Amino acid sequence: MSEKLRSTPLLDELEKGPWPSFVKEIKKSAETNTMAEGTLGQLERSYMDKISHWKHGGLVGVMGYGGGVIGRYSDLPEEFPEVAAFHTYRVNQPSGWFYTSDVLRTLCDIWERHGSGLTNMHGSTGDIIFLGSTTEALEPCFADLTANGFDLGGSGSDVRTPSCCVGPARCEWACYDTLDACNDITHSYQDELHRPAFPYKYKFKFAGCPNDCVASVARSDMSIIGTWKDDIQVDQAKVQEYAANGVDIEAEICRLCPTKCIKWDGKSLDIDNAECVKCMHCINVMPKALRPGKERGATILIGAKAPIIGGALLSAVFVPFLEMEPPYEDLKELAEAIWDFWGEYGKNRERVGEFIQRVGLGNFLDEIGLEPVPEMVAHPRSNPYIFFEEELEEDE
Amino acid sequence: MSQPTVDEVAEAMYDLVKVTHGKKNLKAMDLTKAMIEKFGEDAVDKKFCKLAIRQLIDSGRCIYSYFGGSFITLPPEEGSGG
Amino acid sequence: MAVADRKTDIGPPDFRQFLPPIIKKNYGKWAYHEILEPGVMVHVGESGDQLYTVRAGTPRLLSTVTIRQFAELADKYCGGHLRWTSRHNVEFLLTDKSKIPALKKELHEIGFPVGGTGNAISSIVHTQGWVHCHSSATDASGVVKAIMDEVYPHFVNMDLPAKLRIAFACCLNMCGAVHCSDIAVLGVHTKAPIIDHENLPKLCEIPTLVASCPTGAIRPATVDGKQSVEVEEAQCMFCGNCYTVCPAMQINNADADGISIWVGGKVSNARHEPMFSKLAIPFIPNNPPRWPEVVEAVVKIVKVYAENARKHERMGEWIERIGWPRFFKMTDIPFTKYHIDDFRHAGETYKRSTQLKH
Repeated sequence: MSEKLRSTPLLDELEKGPWPSFVKEIKKSAETNTMAEGTLGQLERSYMDKISHWKHGGLVGVMGYGGGVIGRYSDLPEEFPEVAAFHTYRVNQPSGWFYTSDVLRTLCDIWERHGSGLTNMHGSTGDIIFLGSTTEALEPCFADLTANGFDLGGSGSDVRTPSCCVGPARCEWACYDTLDACNDITHSYQDELHRPAFPYKYKFKFAGCPNDCVASVARSDMSIIGTWKDDIQVDQAKVQEYAANGVDIEAEICRLCPTKCIKWDGKSLDIDNAECVKCMHCINVMPKALRPGKERGATILIGAKAPIIGGALLSAVFVPFLEMEPPYEDLKELAEAIWDFWGEYGKNRERVGEFIQRVGLGNFLDEIGLEPVPEMVAHPRSNPYIFFEEELEEDE
Repeated sequence: MSQPTVDEVAEAMYDLVKVTHGKKNLKAMDLTKAMIEKFGEDAVDKKFCKLAIRQLIDSGRCIYSYFGGSFITLPPEEGSGG
Repeated sequence: MAVADRKTDIGPPDFRQFLPPIIKKNYGKWAYHEILEPGVMVHVGESGDQLYTVRAGTPRLLSTVTIRQFAELADKYCGGHLRWTSRHNVEFLLTDKSKIPALKKELHEIGFPVGGTGNAISSIVHTQGWVHCHSSATDASGVVKAIMDEVYPHFVNMDLPAKLRIAFACCLNMCGAVHCSDIAVLGVHTKAPIIDHENLPKLCEIPTLVASCPTGAIRPATVDGKQSVEVEEAQCMFCGNCYTVCPAMQINNADADGISIWVGGKVSNARHEPMFSKLAIPFIPNNPPRWPEVVEAVVKIVKVYAENARKHERMGEWIERIGWPRFFKMTDIPFTKYHIDDFRHAGETYKRSTQLKH
């Protein structure tokens, strides 16, 4: 098909300017693919009408799965028959989004055979997104994907595709193997990922250090954020090098330390590690001179979510420090205890963070078998409305 | 009540989905709770129900669908689109 | 084909097979890294090995044509090894430093800018918008493109006080983490859903629909003899949750949908604990194809921040230091009643001290 593309005067405006243009991308695929051409036409229509022309369908997966495909239909199927059905696949990405050119070409071959040729690298959850499949193409495309070693990710009320930062593959700050943990959890919970059995979604995000490059504290039900327990490793000669090269250690390091636990006398850096909250600032500024300690693990936080329904939440501390060694049994035990309780009593569309607020963190901890510790709160309660429980004597 | 087979539980789940079709959408946990109620917690548990749900879906009698949350429903009739 | 014969639940391919040899060798044994120039980093292993990363911005939406171009560049410059970042940037992983200028030149020629490292604006994480979403209040890719065209110098340079993260979501569902960004651009609906009473009973289950409303604004009602619902419009906060549960509750509205802007959030624990973004501008009408009013507002906020924040200060830390009254004054953004929280626990955000700047 190399007939002239539809006229798109509004979208053409978005081909101008220095930033790479998504309109050019759609046009590249539209040269050879009628679905991409239809996308261009319908999108131009949305730009004219200032409204989306997609509607949701109940369709969610391939045979046997309840997640991994998002059903999508045009509300103008007569006008844009090429995109009458235009479903999305979520293809589970490899940990850390590492690829070889060969495997990328394999994915391109599959997607050019079965769909629009348009992708997202990557979607918000982390998956490779294939945008635009007909209903008939779903099964053959899935067969092609699995034959080449790929599988679908999660969608709906299930474990969503876990994702992680670049971790020890290319970062000196990784406090545990985020890529392996992500891969292990993903493979361990394939059933929970493909067959939705929860009140709502459950996201894992693995960040190697408190810089949290995957935003796990903001958007994952289970945030696994690397940290350390012992002393920051200091190379004093390198600190002096930074000072000589223009870093104002007093202003940029000591004064910006949140607990003011760093002193600098012009020669050596003195860190009171007992007061350090592992914020990463000094390490970020002087990566050659400072490194996280050697006794490494992760803080496990639970319950982040976006506003829908009861308001946005950040994750809250559940386990202040957990060693993160394969096969990650403690982490799995915690996740499964949460699923068991929330799975049974959570309401439809209630994220675990909201559920915890409804039942109370104290009660939630009782149910999943975790002891309360002061690290879990910013401060103890300031109101006196305590639900004291009747002590049962035979408990003793 | 004697121990039901996975097939029997899947069949009972299917019956429930048929009866509630168009009135109430059921989630996997709704089916699980209903089966524990029906067969007794000594006979079936969450794990057993999970096997039955897998059987129910893999047989094609029911499918997963999404209406702001995942539900287990009857397959759409041919050509109803979306 | 019976389900049993199909290959399922194989999970993602093991990432280890895609790692370049230098990463396999130095895995978990990196000593430090340096940013050599915008978009170019070196990671040095304890072994002394040096891995060079060249980072380029992408529009997230990529054709297979472009992905094949990236694959060719990876073959030519780095043994076929590349990766993507959590912010849609593509990264080429080189061991030969001398090849960097040629790779940069080729990326530039095919239209992909190198940058996004250090104290810069990296690519905007964003959602689908009108390209593929049914509940979007605005387009995502178009607004993002228009903003990035204007803040482009901050992508290819590292001239800001600290890193500046912009995120975009086209409705309150917020696929992604826009609510903890230095600048969050968020599509909003501002009118109650229009109910399709004809189709509602066929498409939706009424008790679930009623339960979906966080403010209890939806009630069962009989309309023209049919079972349906009614919406108490004064109680509606336009979240669109009912539309997600029931397609007959049309929340999209061409005349009333638009964009809000939020500032001062972060996810990193560096210095300050993670923070939510807070409301700066409640509503700007949709103005495709280039949303000039939204772009102007973002550019202004970036400019005032860049000129006034101290080194290492993120947007939220800067605002916390100067105070919100001064932020609104310096940016010329009007403060309205919409800026004052009136949802659950709203009172926690009221100022309850005399510590004010006059």
